[in-house]
Amino acid sequence: MAYLRLISQRLVMTVLTLWGLATLVFIMIKLIPGDEAQVAAGPGASPEQVASVAKRLGLDLPVLQQYLNFLLRMLRGDLGTSVVSSKPVLTELAAVLPSTIELMILASIIGTVIAFPMALVAATYRGKAFDGITRIIAVTGGAMPAFWLALMLQFFFGNVWRITPISGQHSFGISSPNVTGMPTLDALLAGDMVGFLDAMAYLILPAIVFAIPFAAQVFRLLRASLLGVLASDMMLPVRAKGASTSRMVLRHALPNSLLPTVSLMGVLIGGMVGGAILVETVFARRGVGSFLANSVALKDTYAVLGAVMFVGIAVCLVNLVADIITLMLDPRIRGAQFRAGAK
Amino acid sequence: MGVDTILTDGIVPAQVRRRPESLLQVDQLSIDIATRDANVRLVDNVSFGIGRGERVALVGESGSGKSVTAQALMRLNSRVKLSGRVQFDGTDLLSLSPRQMTAMRGQRMGMVFQDPMSSLDPLMTIGDQVAETLRIRGVSKREARQRALDVLDELKVERAAERLDSFPHEFSGGMRQRVVLAMALVGEPHLLIADEPTTALDVRVQERVLDLLDEISRRRSLAVLLITHDLGIVAGFADRVMVMYSGRIVEENEATLLFAEPQHPYTRGLLEAVPRADITVDRLRSISGAPPAPAARPSGCTFHPRCDHAMAVCTSVEPGETITPLGARVRCHLYGEG
Amino acid sequence: MTLVLPTAAPRRKANFTAYELTVFGVVVALFLLALIGPMIAPADIYTSNMLETLLPPSAEHWLGTDDQGRDIFWRLVAGSRLSLFATVLVVILYSIIGMIVATLATVGPRWVDELLMRITDIGLSLPGLVVSLGIATVLGPSLQSGIIALALTGWPMTARILRTTMRQTMEQPFVEGARILGVSRTRLMLKHVLPNSLDVLIVKWAGDISFTMLILAGLSFIGVGAQPPSPEWGAMISGARGYMSIAWWAVAAPGAAIVINAVAFALLADILQVRRDPSLQA
Ligand SMILES: Nc1ncnc2c1ncn2[C@@H]1O[C@H](COP(=O)(O)OP(=O)(O)OP(=O)(O)O)[C@@H](O)[C@H]1O
Ligand code: SF4
Ligand SMILES: [Mg+2]
Repeated sequence: MAYLRLISQRLVMTVLTLWGLATLVFIMIKLIPGDEAQVAAGPGASPEQVASVAKRLGLDLPVLQQYLNFLLRMLRGDLGTSVVSSKPVLTELAAVLPSTIELMILASIIGTVIAFPMALVAATYRGKAFDGITRIIAVTGGAMPAFWLALMLQFFFGNVWRITPISGQHSFGISSPNVTGMPTLDALLAGDMVGFLDAMAYLILPAIVFAIPFAAQVFRLLRASLLGVLASDMMLPVRAKGASTSRMVLRHALPNSLLPTVSLMGVLIGGMVGGAILVETVFARRGVGSFLANSVALKDTYAVLGAVMFVGIAVCLVNLVADIITLMLDPRIRGAQFRAGAK
Repeated sequence: MGVDTILTDGIVPAQVRRRPESLLQVDQLSIDIATRDANVRLVDNVSFGIGRGERVALVGESGSGKSVTAQALMRLNSRVKLSGRVQFDGTDLLSLSPRQMTAMRGQRMGMVFQDPMSSLDPLMTIGDQVAETLRIRGVSKREARQRALDVLDELKVERAAERLDSFPHEFSGGMRQRVVLAMALVGEPHLLIADEPTTALDVRVQERVLDLLDEISRRRSLAVLLITHDLGIVAGFADRVMVMYSGRIVEENEATLLFAEPQHPYTRGLLEAVPRADITVDRLRSISGAPPAPAARPSGCTFHPRCDHAMAVCTSVEPGETITPLGARVRCHLYGEG
Repeated sequence: MTLVLPTAAPRRKANFTAYELTVFGVVVALFLLALIGPMIAPADIYTSNMLETLLPPSAEHWLGTDDQGRDIFWRLVAGSRLSLFATVLVVILYSIIGMIVATLATVGPRWVDELLMRITDIGLSLPGLVVSLGIATVLGPSLQSGIIALALTGWPMTARILRTTMRQTMEQPFVEGARILGVSRTRLMLKHVLPNSLDVLIVKWAGDISFTMLILAGLSFIGVGAQPPSPEWGAMISGARGYMSIAWWAVAAPGAAIVINAVAFALLADILQVRRDPSLQA
C-alpha cells in the first residue's frame, strides 16, 4: 500500500508541476510585448491572418476564459503552431525528440561508466592521492561551460586533428531508413554497420560534452553517500564479519547509495535537455535543443514557449521514472507492497 | 566448564585459583584519537586477559571507554591509534597487516553491537547477511545458507527457513538482535565481544537474548566479553568483572567476589547505586558529579573529585595497580603499599 | 526530492591548508579584477582597429585580437566585471526571493507554508535553463533579461534549504526561551533565525556563483543574454564563433576565463562544504 501511495503522490506532484508550468507559460504569453495575435501569426502575417489567429486563440474572450482554453489546448497536446514552419510545435518536436534521446542515453552511459568506478575507487581508498585528485577533477568537470567545451572539442577533434566529423548526425549518403529517428539505432535495425559507426562518430563528441558534467555530479554524490554509508553503524558488524574494504564498498555501501544516486541521475538527465539547447546548436544536430535555439533565433516566440512546455513535460516524466525506480529498489517499500498484495 | 568455582564459605587465594587457558591477552593497550587540535587519550594502559570459554564483563559509566576498547580488540575503528599488545590465540593483533587482520575477524572473533536497528543492512536479506560471514571465507553458497539456517535455529528464530529471504525491516528488535548474533556466531569464533547487546531491547526480550547467549556460550565453550551498563545482567552471567572508569580499568575480580567485597570506592559506589539488580549504572545516584571527558582528566587518581575517600596523595599521584588479599586487581591509594 | 542538510558543526580553528589558501587567494583576486578591470583596461578595446584583426597571441596581444582588431586579453579584463557581477547579482536577487519565501513559510500560518512549499517543489522540478530561456525570449534579448530570467527561476532551492534551517532553528530551546520572554516574532527572525540560516547559505553561494556563471554565459551564447559587442564573456564566445576556424583563441580565451571563475568558485564551495561536514574529507 505504501508503495502505491508513494507513487500516486509522485504522480499528483507531477501533474501539479505541469499545471504550474502551463500557468507560467500562459503568463509569459500574456507578457509578450506587442499584439499577441500578431506575434502568434508571425511578423509577416496579413491583417486577415492575424484576425483569424486571434479568433482561433480566442483572444477576445476574458482572460480567465483564455486561461482555461489554454489549459484545455495543452491537455489535448496542442502546444501551439510554429510561425516559421506553420506546423504544430508538437509534431516538429516529436520528429526531433528521438535524436535528443539518443544523445542523452549515450551521454548517461558514458557518464555512468566514468563516475561509478571512480567513486568506488575513491571511496575505497579514501584520503589517498587518487581520492584527492579525483575530487578536484570532479569539481572542475562540473564547472565546465558545456557550449564552450563543445566548441573546443569540435574545433580540435573535428577541424584540427580531423578525428571526428564536425557537425550533423551522419555523413552525406550514409543514412539508413528512418524508423526510430535515432540514426545509430536505425543503422543497427537496417543491419548497416558502416552506417552505425558513422552515426556513432557524429554522436560521440556531443555525448562526451554532456557526460563530463553528468559524471562529475554523479561522482560527487555517489562518493559522498558511499562514505556516509561506510561511516554508519551498519558497517561495524560487516567489518566485524571480516569483510574487506572492497566488499564493504561493493556489497553494502553501493546498494545503499544507489537510491539517492538514481534520484539524482534522473534530475541530471532531465537537466541535459536544457544543456541540449547549447550543445545541439554547436554540433548542428537535429533535436529538441536546436529546435528551441532556432526558434529563439527566428523570434518564433510561440514555438519557444511550446517547446519550453514540451521540455518541462519531458523533464517531469524523467524525474517521475527515476523516483519510481528509486522506490522499487528499496525493499522496505517494495516489501510492503508484496505483503499488501499477499493479503 | 573449565572455570573455577568459588567456595561460598571461604576465599581461595588468587594464586591458588585455577585459571582457564589464556585466549586473549591485552597488555598496556592505549587508544588515542587525533583531533584537529590535539591528541586525546581515550583509553590509557589497559591490561587484562580472557581465558578460553571464560565470560568476562566490562562495566562502567557511559563514556568510560568500553566500546572503544572493544572495537580496538578487533581493530574496527580505523580513526584511532592503538598502542600496546593484543595477543589473541598466540597472535599479536596489533602487528598484523590490515589484510591479515581482516582474515582474523569473523572467523575467530565475532562482535555484536548495541543497536540492532542500525546494525543490519536494510537492503540485504537476513540469510545473505548471516551467510556473508562464511561466504567471505569461501564457503559455498549452499553450505553457507545451510549453516546460517542452523545458527538461526540454534538462536531460536522461529520459522527461520522461511525467513532467510526476509529483509531486516520485517523483523522486531529482539529478532534483529538474534540475527546480529547469528552473524557473529556463524563463523564459530572462539571469542564473542558483545557491546551492550541488550540495551536497546525491552526488558523481557533482553532476558531471552541473554539466556540464549548464556546457553550458547556454555554449549560451544565460547569466551564472551560482555560490555554493559547493567550490573543485574553481570551477576548472573559473568565469571569475572572488570570496572572501567575514565579510560582505565580500576578494579577487576571474580564476579562473586566483586559483588560481595567491592574494593575500589568507585565500584562500591556502583554497587550502592544498585540496590536491586535490575537497575543500571548509567546514572549514578550515590556518586555525585559526572565522569571527566577524556580530554580533561583530573590529575592523580582521575576519580578523586568524586571520591569520598580522597586523600592528599590522590590529587597528584596516579595510583598504581595492586592485588588485594581478596584477589582483586585495584588501582587506588587505599590499597597501595604506602 | 529530499534534502539532507549537513548538521552545523561547531566552529573549528582555521588551520587552512596551502591548497585551501590558494583557492581563497584566487577567488579574492577574481573579485578584485572584476572591481578594477574596466578601469585598467585601455579605451581602444571598445573601438575597432581594422589593421590588427585576428592576430594570434603574441607579446603585444597576449591572447590575440578579435575580428575588430580589439585586444582579447583586455576585453576579458574589462568584461570580468560584467560577467562576475551579473552572476553575483543573479545570486543575490534569487537569494532575496528565496529568503522572503522561506521567511513567509516559517512565520506564516500552516497553509501559507504548504502553498509556498508546493510552489517551491514545482519550481525545483522545472528545468531552470529552459524556463529562463523562455522568460528571456519574452522579455527581449539583453543582459538584463538574462539576469531577471535567472533570478526568477533560481530561488526555489534557496527557499527550500532556508525553510528547513529556519524551522530547525525555531524549534531550538533558546528561541522558545526568547519567545516566552516576549521577544517579538519579527525580532526573533531577524536576530536569531536569519543569521543562523546565513551560515547554511554561505556554502551554497559559492557553488551558486559557479553554476550561475555557466548558465548566464550559456544564455548569452544562445543570444538571449548579453549581446555583442558587449565584452561579457558568453557574448564574446558567441561573437567569435563564426570565425573560430581562423582564430580559435578568440573562442578559447573567454571560455577559459569562464572556466577559471567557475572552477575557482566550485572549489571554494567544495572546501566550505567539507569544512562544514568533515566526513566528506579526502
Ligand atoms: N571518534 C571519536 N572522536 C572523539 N572522541 C571519541 C570518539 N569515539 C569515542 N570518543 C570518546 O571516547 C570516550 C569513550 O567512548 P566509548 O564509546 O568507548 O564509551 P562507552 O564506555 O562505550 O560509553 P557508552 O556506554 O555510552 O557506550 C567517550 O568520551 C567518547 O566521547
Ligand atoms: S586513589 Fe584516592 S581518590 Fe582514587 S579512588 Fe582511591 S581513594 Fe579515591
Ligand atoms: Mg559504548
